[in-house]
Amino acid sequence: MGNYILKRIMSIIPVFLLAALLTTGMIHLSPVDPAEAYLTAAHIQPTDEILAQKRHEFGLDQPFFIQYVKSIMKICQLDFGISYVSNKPVWNEVIYRIPATVQLAIASILIAVFVSVPLGFLAGVKKGSVIDHFSRLLSFFGASIPTFWLGYILVFFFSVKLNLFPVEGIGTWQHLVLPSITLALPLIAMYTRLLRASVLENLQQPYVLFARTRGLKEKTIMTKHVLRIAISPMITGLGMNLGKLLTGTIIVESVFSWPGFGRYFIEAIFNRDIPVIQCYVLIAASLFILSNLIVDIVQMYVDPRISRKEGQHR
Amino acid sequence: MSKGKISLKIKLASMFILILSTLLVGCSNTNNRESTSKGGHDNMLTIAWPRDVGEMNPHVYNPSQLFAQSMVYEPLVSYQAGGKIKPNLAKSWEISEDGKVYTFHLREGVKFSDGTDFNAEIVKKNFDTILNNAELHSWLGFITKVSQTEVVDKNTFKLTLTEPYYPTIQELAVVRPVRFLGEAGFPKDGDTSKGIVKPVGTGPWILEKYKADEYAIYKRNENYWGELPKLEKIKVKVIPDAETRVLAFEKGDLDMIYGEGVISLDTFKQLKSTGKYETSVSEPIATRQLVMNTKTEQLSDERVRQALHYGFNRDAMVEGVTSGLEEKADHILPTNLPYTKDVDITSVGYDVEKAKTLLDKAGWKLPKGKTVREKDGKLLEVELMYDSAESIQKAMAETLQSEWAAIGVKLNIVGVELADQVQRFKDNKFDINFFSNYGAPYDPHTFLNIVASKGFGFNEAISAYPNKDELIKQMVKVPQTTDEKERQQLYSSILKSLQDQGAIIPVSYIKKTAIYQKNVTNFNFPANRDENPFTGISIKQ
Repeated sequence: MGNYILKRIMSIIPVFLLAALLTTGMIHLSPVDPAEAYLTAAHIQPTDEILAQKRHEFGLDQPFFIQYVKSIMKICQLDFGISYVSNKPVWNEVIYRIPATVQLAIASILIAVFVSVPLGFLAGVKKGSVIDHFSRLLSFFGASIPTFWLGYILVFFFSVKLNLFPVEGIGTWQHLVLPSITLALPLIAMYTRLLRASVLENLQQPYVLFARTRGLKEKTIMTKHVLRIAISPMITGLGMNLGKLLTGTIIVESVFSWPGFGRYFIEAIFNRDIPVIQCYVLIAASLFILSNLIVDIVQMYVDPRISRKEGQHR
Repeated sequence: MSKGKISLKIKLASMFILILSTLLVGCSNTNNRESTSKGGHDNMLTIAWPRDVGEMNPHVYNPSQLFAQSMVYEPLVSYQAGGKIKPNLAKSWEISEDGKVYTFHLREGVKFSDGTDFNAEIVKKNFDTILNNAELHSWLGFITKVSQTEVVDKNTFKLTLTEPYYPTIQELAVVRPVRFLGEAGFPKDGDTSKGIVKPVGTGPWILEKYKADEYAIYKRNENYWGELPKLEKIKVKVIPDAETRVLAFEKGDLDMIYGEGVISLDTFKQLKSTGKYETSVSEPIATRQLVMNTKTEQLSDERVRQALHYGFNRDAMVEGVTSGLEEKADHILPTNLPYTKDVDITSVGYDVEKAKTLLDKAGWKLPKGKTVREKDGKLLEVELMYDSAESIQKAMAETLQSEWAAIGVKLNIVGVELADQVQRFKDNKFDINFFSNYGAPYDPHTFLNIVASKGFGFNEAISAYPNKDELIKQMVKVPQTTDEKERQQLYSSILKSLQDQGAIIPVSYIKKTAIYQKNVTNFNFPANRDENPFTGISIKQ
């Protein structure tokens, strides 16, 4: 298992190199010169002298290969350069904003898990019941409502009309409620469906029949056996979504003025702030890899058959 | 279903309701507390801004926001309505006969917010720091022409230029980079382009509290030399999303939303129609223009350009697209700017028949059974580029497409990102583009400067003008003229010629909007496009 984890960690390196290549190449593929975009964003009329000065400052006047190698070397030292917009080190800016995003992501995952596990499980066990219909309806809405729209609707009713929560901002737990629900609903939709399908599938398995013939209590069969195995695909989904969650926060953070990493990234795109975009892409890539790795490890723990399979391969 | 199961369900349901209601009560209590603290209003105005106010460095650009910089830092002179320049940190000034030497007599008794004196020494220090990074500021014409900065005495500062440049005084009123930072704000090496130690200015406001990406609170500078603001504090919340800004305003979390395009015109109109709020629309701040690239074959012919001008109903388009919040423009620069009033332009109305005749005369005939005009087998087809994020440009482009189709012109509309639009304009990769001028205090001289300079798109746009070279010579001459009358004559003739030959079509005058709660009074838009509007505002308790 140790070897397997090490192998997985090592696989991050080529992905990193590729991501760095893509982000460096991005500057050359974009029709807009970053130096020019910088000046436009700053309301400065781009004269030839300022453009040349800025290009030199950003290192854009060097050959592509040099730019690529330099950026790799810098990334290794966690140096993502200086933001074109704020003139401050990108890494410091990112570190400042990440806690807010993580807070939002954790709250949403918790809501998603607390709602979807009982809901999906009960929907599967009691197929055709009211709770099953409700879970399907919720899944349908969760999957089809655009996040930003849901955000506005929640704000309109719960903040403006009922005055229960703040419209925007950060600070108290009340600030966290609406954005995390907004972010959690699509996850709830997905996990509930996954768990329901998985429970239904497991109920058909011979081990359930065997357990029943052994005279085990229905409650024990469901919680100790069916749920434990059925939850496995949901964990995979959860892991896959850790990375996705980061991208999901972009919209939610903008709607709720949440001062996180996603909003910072959006502004960077509009300003063509290449170092920030590079940093985001690399963090997102590593997050995807890491979350998949964590999921695999957790799954081995939850469903030992997986690690046995791994062992057989080796 | 057994009785036991039913009672379990009831128990579960009631527990759920209990938890939910406890949560909700908890929330409303906290909210009540919030609103109570708001009710005992501490004479603070809360506004929203789409972006963080930035690090408040007076000598650099992004990410510092212009309105916020103008709250803390002050210029030597200030720009007033109609282009009048009034004393500010300089109580008076003299300009030498040859237009090269500017002597400023500084206001006495002015202190920075940390209590230090404002004097000629600190003025020179600021100027010298700015001039050390002259390339960065070269867009501001006078910066490249400064040959010397001198301290004459404690309260007299002298600026010498290499050549006469009349807009110097106007450019000294801009928000950045020529405003003054106190000694304590300078870093050790004195180079403010890399950052400042702290924001120390002479302005009416002091930055009291700042949380990046969240909010900034400014408090009144009690030792301000000028008229003291009525408000004690101003809180600027960072709300990037326009809809959220409106929702926060409707909830009462914000006292005011103002600026350019900070809320959509539709939303503005809808909020206004409720009658619950006060609204205000500014004077024209810039003209929305259509700029044609006369290097393209079709548009090189003046008759075609004029035909396009006659071929759409400006009144209806502006009214329809902007809900009447912008005004039909007859001049390529708003006439409330200096030297722009006396321009005798030929007025162009909506005349489809005239447009058709002009196109016929230009050789673009409409073949029978077809909808697009042709000349030597070539279709009369042009492309209009617009900023895809700007709903007004998009709607106008669509209107033009249908209007010009009626006179046999095929208009292809292309939405691009703003940065892309600027780049393509510069690179001459456009047929027709949307543009708007810079407004006060930059225009009219900055507009003429970019039309005359290569690499901004305009120089190429007017390349088919027969008098192009003469026009450019005149445009270069304008800022050097020391004679007021001659200057006015030059402006009038240049602007008339630019407009009459049809490569630049004025569409509408862009205006700022403000919407505020009923208890906010005395709101006025500043004449300087980038200044803050907080002086004079008060909140009825």
